[in-house]
Amino acid sequence: MSPNTWVIEMPTQKARLHPYPRRISPYRTPSVNRYAFSHETPPPPPPPPPRTLEHPVFEDIRTIMSVLKASGLMPIYEQLSSHEVGPPTKTNEFYSFFVRGVVHALTIFNVYSLFTPSSAQLFYSYRETDNVNQWIELLLCILTYTLTVFVCARNTKNILRIMNEILQLDDEVRRQFGANLSQNFGFSVKYLFGIAACQTYIIVLKIYAVDGVITPTSYVLLAFYAVQNGLTATYIVFASALLRIVYIRFHFINQLLNGYTYAQQQRKKGGHRRQAAGATLMENFPEDSLFIYRMHNKLLRIYKGINDCCNLILVSFLGYSFYTVTTNCYNLFVQITAKGMVSSNILQWCFAWLCMHVSLLALLSRSCGLTTREANATSQILARVYAKSKEYQNIIDKFLTKSIKQEVQFTAYGFFAIDNSTLFKIFSAVTTYLVILIQFKQLEDSKVEDNIQDQQQT
Amino acid sequence: MACRPSIISRGSDVGQSTFNMPPAQTESALPMVQPLLKEFQLLFYISKIAGILPQDLEKFRTKNVLEKSRNGMVYMLAMLIVYVLLYNILIYSFGEEDRTLKASQSTLTFVIGLFLTYIGLIMMGTDQLTALRNQGRIGELYERIRQVDERLYKEKCVVDNSHIGGRIRFMLIMTFLFELSILLATYIKLVDYTQWMSVLWIVSAIPTFINTLDKIWFAVSLYALKERFEAINQTLEELVATHEKFKLWLRGDHDTSSRTLDSSQPPEYDSNLEYLYRELGGLDMGSLKGSGKNKVAPVSHSMNSFGESIEASDKATHHPISVNMAHESELSNASKVEEKLNNLCQVHDEICEIGKAMNELWSYPILSLMAYGFLIFTAQLYFLYCATQFQSIPSLFRSAKNPFITVIALSYTSGKCVYLIYLSWKTSLASKRTGISLHKCGVVADDNLLFEIVNHLSLKLLNHSVDFSACGFFTLDMETLYGVSGGITSYLIILIQFNLAAQQAKEAIQTFNSLNDTASLVGAATEMDNGSSTLYDLVTTTMLTPTV
Repeated sequence: MSPNTWVIEMPTQKARLHPYPRRISPYRTPSVNRYAFSHETPPPPPPPPPRTLEHPVFEDIRTIMSVLKASGLMPIYEQLSSHEVGPPTKTNEFYSFFVRGVVHALTIFNVYSLFTPSSAQLFYSYRETDNVNQWIELLLCILTYTLTVFVCARNTKNILRIMNEILQLDDEVRRQFGANLSQNFGFSVKYLFGIAACQTYIIVLKIYAVDGVITPTSYVLLAFYAVQNGLTATYIVFASALLRIVYIRFHFINQLLNGYTYAQQQRKKGGHRRQAAGATLMENFPEDSLFIYRMHNKLLRIYKGINDCCNLILVSFLGYSFYTVTTNCYNLFVQITAKGMVSSNILQWCFAWLCMHVSLLALLSRSCGLTTREANATSQILARVYAKSKEYQNIIDKFLTKSIKQEVQFTAYGFFAIDNSTLFKIFSAVTTYLVILIQFKQLEDSKVEDNIQDQQQT
Repeated sequence: MACRPSIISRGSDVGQSTFNMPPAQTESALPMVQPLLKEFQLLFYISKIAGILPQDLEKFRTKNVLEKSRNGMVYMLAMLIVYVLLYNILIYSFGEEDRTLKASQSTLTFVIGLFLTYIGLIMMGTDQLTALRNQGRIGELYERIRQVDERLYKEKCVVDNSHIGGRIRFMLIMTFLFELSILLATYIKLVDYTQWMSVLWIVSAIPTFINTLDKIWFAVSLYALKERFEAINQTLEELVATHEKFKLWLRGDHDTSSRTLDSSQPPEYDSNLEYLYRELGGLDMGSLKGSGKNKVAPVSHSMNSFGESIEASDKATHHPISVNMAHESELSNASKVEEKLNNLCQVHDEICEIGKAMNELWSYPILSLMAYGFLIFTAQLYFLYCATQFQSIPSLFRSAKNPFITVIALSYTSGKCVYLIYLSWKTSLASKRTGISLHKCGVVADDNLLFEIVNHLSLKLLNHSVDFSACGFFTLDMETLYGVSGGITSYLIILIQFNLAAQQAKEAIQTFNSLNDTASLVGAATEMDNGSSTLYDLVTTTMLTPTV
């Protein structure tokens, strides 16, 4: 029952480049019971720091949660206690319902106006295929967002369940070790700002590019398009943040287990040779290992739950993002190599899209990869624990046997696993398509040039 | 590639051959094992001069350690800048032909060509900057390898480093041969050497040369790791072999057990079994004679694998020489073997960790090397095709004009990539083999207790994974190699098809133009004859309709 004296911090951006970010908070305010990662008798306890009981849950990702709540993607839950959230009240539920209804109505309106000539002024481009491309992009965006809204509406209960499970787990950790797992989710706020800035910039560019007076319908179309993009991107950031939360928990138990590995044991032994505390090092092992196994199982369930909640969204987002990256790269190339007709507007537009989508893809694959690796690392670390007694060995064996074929993966609806290699595959596919597209364009161009030459000659 | 099995000598052999004095004295006088870096001297000096490694030269010469050095860093950065400048001058001076080329060439080919010219430079920059970043950590890595060697030596499993030096020399010679042959052949055959600027062509070999030197470091270190894995496997297999012999001896011995019962002096068995007694029986020759010779362990290793001090357990196992030797050995077998297996398992884990750390250090260079290999291989083949069709190609790829030079260049590039992939694959295979060897131990011992130990340890071994990957994007194994070769083929087909199409389009236009000319001539002739110009009309209409 010790107060929050433990904070596991995420390493800074620079430190995160390291393969195994294992950093424990430098301010080690001693806990009443004992350290989580060292098994020594603690120094006399200092006066416990004041603790705010009305500590709101998920404070770290508050900003992004509020955005999602306002847009009806997340339920506006009630906080029952410091480790439990309840279902939303009737008014709030109605609000979410209302927002989603508005969104669907707008979507239908947009699709309608896309197929009427009123939106034609938005598609002004210099070539026919580009217009088709933009159409497809728009439709994909609408599809992705609609899917997001539907899936989110369906998974309201699941999301709440996952959140409750995470909170319970935190509570358990707090009771056992007095460790408060929190971290700075600054990246989510940064991404939020980045997305908002990108979308605004894109709208402004588009408005400047359109000649003539813009009809209100086009304004609505554009604004809603931006909102759709922004919210889909926000949801992806939210999923990454959730994964990061799970990652921290996995990291915590791995750190805990790491204290029992032979290297650590020897180091401790070397440091305190004269104290001759032979058996005490492993004293807490059975208790801790049981706790770790339980935590690990729960975390795996949470991880799977998150995956189930958002895998459909992820598939469609990855598809959309792949398409966008390809077409924008292609447009960029065409713009750069085109002789004389370089338009800075289109260049900036392409750059904005590319930045947004590439950074989102990188964020997603990175957090998935990190979490997956951390989840799989538990058994690897446990393999480094060497215990003398048969009892302890059996404890270790049980977990290792259980996790033999339990390869944890974050999949996109079972189609493929998302990690760093996904990023690589997407970019190699984009390259291949680019080469083919550019070659075709050159063939087309040479034919056009020949025609012009012929017409001049005859 | 030759995978020579590592030379392992048992404790008794070590006493006579490698280390002539008793280990207890060795420890005080000399380090127990030769550091691996001792074999790297030649490579280190060359790398130091070429500016690949920033580490301190003096420290390496005296103490065989890699340490940070500010001067080395400055020298290396200066070299990097000089290389970049020289390379840019080279591109500029040889790029004049390209400027005329750009007008005639499609933009894609030009852009790709530009990218291809700079990828070598990018690769070199990655290598050098990564070496700068890692300068402190590489030393640690070799120190860890040395510690692993010490622990292996304590388990009486000695890894022989002596042929690594020869390997390095062979690789260096191959590098020089390839670089020189490509450089000279291209210079003599394809560069206009009447101009003094043509001397700059030498610069074109610098990026690949530096890259290869850097990769030799990686490859040889990886090879050393593989040897350590194999040494562990070998030790386990030898345990099995000796135990089999022991069982044979036991079977023979049971008939005449009465003879050994009353013998108070050590029984006479052959040297193999003598070893076995020490190995499996927990009875050292030293402890047999009651001397304290088994205090070989240095201070840091006075604990067993469970963190308990060895002295205590040794005291416990110091049985007086019993009457029945065979029975005695079987009894104390399990605990002793367990400790040995535990230690081997821990060393295995440590080697795996070293492998991971090494992969981490070289991940960006490997990624850039793979990208370079893929691009250059595709480009060289494509330009070879272009050259056979008498099309113009970028000036830096002039070696593609000659098929023979192309073959040398391709085998050099692909050799580098394939060898690294092959070695990584082999290393991770060797690490996985340890589990099999361990199980053999369990099977041959046929003992419940040992079986439990083996089960426990093999579960652990299953979780020691060493997979080499390039930044997590793809693993370095044969599957990737297959994928890359598939990728190269498909890109080549796409490129050549489009090239063909473009070529055909051009030819069609030319024939049309020439036809047009003849048609107008004919038309002029007919008009001169004041005849009807139907032929002219016919020709023009038929030719113009498809294109207009």
